[in-house]
Amino acid sequence: MVTPNASVARGRSGSKFETVMWFFTRVTGILFLFMGALSLVYANLTGGYGNMDAGAQMRWAFFPISFHVESSAVEVTPNFSNPFWQAYSFLLVAFAATHGFNGLRVILTDYIRRPLLLAWVKAILLLLWLLVLVAAAFLVFVFTG
Amino acid sequence: MSKLARVSLPKALAYRGGQPMIAWLLHRISGIGIVFFVSMHILAAFFLYSVESTSTTGLVSDALTAFYEALPMQVFMLFAVLYHAINGLRIVVLDMFPALWKYNREAMWVQWAVFLPMFLLPAALMIMRVQI
Repeated sequence: MVTPNASVARGRSGSKFETVMWFFTRVTGILFLFMGALSLVYANLTGGYGNMDAGAQMRWAFFPISFHVESSAVEVTPNFSNPFWQAYSFLLVAFAATHGFNGLRVILTDYIRRPLLLAWVKAILLLLWLLVLVAAAFLVFVFTG
Repeated sequence: MSKLARVSLPKALAYRGGQPMIAWLLHRISGIGIVFFVSMHILAAFFLYSVESTSTTGLVSDALTAFYEALPMQVFMLFAVLYHAINGLRIVVLDMFPALWKYNREAMWVQWAVFLPMFLLPAALMIMRVQI
């Protein structure tokens, strides 16, 4: 008698979900490198060079919205306050949240053995993921000060 | 997806997986760290903009902001983001060209050679608070 195993059972169910997320994780992982590099280069070319510490460089790379560097010595220019960089930032955050919360789901599936508990944990993860997306949308599109 | 491990903690600690195990462990730890930091950051920023700063939520958001803007947290985030990115790149490349998996050990040493200078130099600059 083989004990039922959540991860093995899901692999046999015929659902493409795991394959899709496996592919999504890899594609977005590569995408983050290019998106981070682009916003970092752009920030340094448009006046950031010489005015940022390493932390500010990281903040520009992963969330190129002007209010994100108000706490650093950078002069906040309107360069990043246009719809292109808003869409760019929101896509970056949405992909990152999906990549990250999917990763948490994979890790928790490895350690939680009780199916009911796992279902609740997944529901909470889904809720947190949506909360982060909504908060990020407000930060990018509404609180533009 | 790994099968569920049914081993005791002492046995798990005694398992000598070497480099691949260290990479797997660091990838998970850095991944969890990034998810927690980014979620905390987004939610704290959201509440800083949307509620009174004197309310309980505002005070909690202030405390969270002070926590993740502290230097040790920033250095940890640099470590986590860089390690996760470089290790992830190795996994993606080896998955794309499975024939290269036999060079995994060498790839891991190359990975450390790339990661260490990329982490230590900015970390030193952050600790010395240099403007780049």
